[in-house]
Amino acid sequence: MVTPYGIKFSVHIITSHFGNLVAKVCEKLLTRGPLTLQLLIRFTELNSLQVKNSLLILIQHNCVQAFSAEESGGIANKQTPTQYLVLFDNILHRLRFPKFLEIVAQELDENCAELLEGLLQHGRLTQEQIYERAKSIKSGDCADQSGVQEHFRKLVNDRFIERCPAPEPFIAESTPEETPAKKRGAKATKLVEVKKTLEQRVLEEAAVMEAQRFSIMEDLETDIDAEKSKDSSSIVRLGEKRKGDLLELDGDFSFNNKEVTLWRANFEEFLRCLRHKACVESVRARLDDGAAIVLKALLKATRGAEKKVKMENSVPLSLDSIFEEVMKSEAGRTMTLDRVRASLDQLGCPSSMGIDDSYSIDLKKIIELSQNEEVESIVLNRYGRDGYRVFRLLSKAGHLLETDKISEMTFVEKKDTPKILYKLWQDEYLHMEKMVVNTKQFLLWKVNKSILCEHVLDEMYHAALNLSLRSTHEMEQHKELLNLPAGQCTGPMEKKRLWLRSVRIYLVSSLLKLDDAIMLFHDF
Amino acid sequence: MSRLQGPSSLKRKRPDSNSPSGSLTEHERILYDVIRSKQDMGIWTRDLKREANLPDNVVAKSLKSLLTKKLIKEVVNIQNKGRKHLMAAEFEPSKEISGGDWYVDGSLDTEFIDFLKDQFVKIIYKQRVATLEGILDVIRRSGILKVEITTQQIQEIVRVLVLDDKVMEVKSNGMGEFDSIPVGKVCFKCTNKAGLKGEPKVGAMASIPCGVCPRISYCTPDGIISPSTCVYYTKWLDF
Repeated sequence: MVTPYGIKFSVHIITSHFGNLVAKVCEKLLTRGPLTLQLLIRFTELNSLQVKNSLLILIQHNCVQAFSAEESGGIANKQTPTQYLVLFDNILHRLRFPKFLEIVAQELDENCAELLEGLLQHGRLTQEQIYERAKSIKSGDCADQSGVQEHFRKLVNDRFIERCPAPEPFIAESTPEETPAKKRGAKATKLVEVKKTLEQRVLEEAAVMEAQRFSIMEDLETDIDAEKSKDSSSIVRLGEKRKGDLLELDGDFSFNNKEVTLWRANFEEFLRCLRHKACVESVRARLDDGAAIVLKALLKATRGAEKKVKMENSVPLSLDSIFEEVMKSEAGRTMTLDRVRASLDQLGCPSSMGIDDSYSIDLKKIIELSQNEEVESIVLNRYGRDGYRVFRLLSKAGHLLETDKISEMTFVEKKDTPKILYKLWQDEYLHMEKMVVNTKQFLLWKVNKSILCEHVLDEMYHAALNLSLRSTHEMEQHKELLNLPAGQCTGPMEKKRLWLRSVRIYLVSSLLKLDDAIMLFHDF
Repeated sequence: MSRLQGPSSLKRKRPDSNSPSGSLTEHERILYDVIRSKQDMGIWTRDLKREANLPDNVVAKSLKSLLTKKLIKEVVNIQNKGRKHLMAAEFEPSKEISGGDWYVDGSLDTEFIDFLKDQFVKIIYKQRVATLEGILDVIRRSGILKVEITTQQIQEIVRVLVLDDKVMEVKSNGMGEFDSIPVGKVCFKCTNKAGLKGEPKVGAMASIPCGVCPRISYCTPDGIISPSTCVYYTKWLDF
């Protein structure tokens, strides 16, 4: 779901990370769908070099994927123009880098996190560049190549980093509604849909084969070869080289045809971790610690077997294996088999399931409950206790209910109910239908989950943008205070400085928390 | 509920029907009969005037007299509180007029409802897992209520507790805490966060100003309402 405020927020992120020019290119791609270089130049009204450089930056940071598509009825010989597809999700992931680093620091160690940090900072790097960076940071003293290699291997084994996808996949002729070159019509919803299917196709085409995606071996050789033929290891330079041929640049960039393998952070794996974490925390709040421990152990054991992030059910695991996994964790060591079984029961797995005695937890349900909780919390705070009750009734019912019936079932005053319903409807939290029976008009209401989720998500993007803008505003306002050397601050000045510090922490941590909720609706 | 002999007896103006109405004038009698024929639904004064087909001043005078004789009463019609609604004294307003068991004089008896909600949460909390019958049993034995309460009414209250997220509905599996309850029976448990007075967890969105902002749809980065000029933010960051 790419909503209007989603676009504004992601453009804001790009602006603050890479500046206005890059953001302008990014915005055009977000609003208009995939474009060729020529069209981008025309729409952005920037010169060709500016657009090219912006694209290079976006590609380097995995925010844009180039591809070429077969044109419908096109002549076979004609070269198809390269198009650029913006990856909305990857732009938002930029906010989550601290979370990704924390995961690696927890699951592996600080050294691995440091390696990952380099990749997050630079978008894509060769193995050689990663090692170079590690050496320069450690300033030569204890940076032995084998140690860094070991950390690198750990990251790859745990799938936290992967090989970059194909630079320019070729998309075979698609069905008419998916044709990317088609001028995008007025209907925004359709645009999103079309883009989705195309985005998926491009990403699928570009994806590295599963077997190669996390393999290091052959890469080492190529890398050493590459090193010999290379003059410097400047990152941007390398990115330019690589993208040189995609952009069909005319001789400005000398590029080397040698195949180099680039690595990048595997966002998918990080999202999987974050999703699991969200599920476990939700279960802990709703059920108890026991259920959370069991779920955590089960998800940890089956993480490698998950095929996509949005798994509806966890990968089936036998009771014995689950018990074994639970025993491995410190918190689960005191649990008995019966206790584990009871927790699985709480998690919605009756003990007599299937013949092979394997358990699979309904993760989609857990996510849905968390989503409901988030929305209900907004409703409670915005529309009060009565509104909360009315909303929950409709959300649970899942079908149309009449005003008076709602009033009766929720114990809300008959005269207040229509007002509450109307307010909720006006803010797009409810769907309303009119029904006329014998000239008397009845109003029927219901919660339309998918429309509601999109609306809430858009509000969240809006809120995230606001948090970020306010943060910038506060820092702007007190610029001179920030520029003062620490020693010169005394009395009220010092107080103000401390206040500003808390404001910053408050806003940033709120944004991180809000981002968890955004992921809940968008990525999980 | 109907204590009426039959509609035919109403149409004939029998002077000996009962003692207080015996002394009615002809106009009063006509009006009284119309009102009484509506039984527990009562009638709106304007409809009454139309049906009785009498001049306004006569109607007003006669109604006043009927009211003082306590033969008719004014009731609040929940559908339209502004309208003057009349009913024969011997009837109790129907559910459509009164709003049901939980209404007193046309408004919701929130005090009573809140009292019951409070009591029920306590009972469910104490029993860990409770059925409707179990709650009814405790209520009856404790004698905290002076009026009789039905399982239906208990169900209505518990349903609202579920909507309040204080209580959750679970099905008995016959094991553990459910061992005294038949398998498949619907029971109720207190939710984790409820405790006795708990509020649901405040979500990420609801804990920042924008999450509860009534004006969020008017807010734009450079608009009159904008995050940099937002008063809610200023208040929020005032610490």
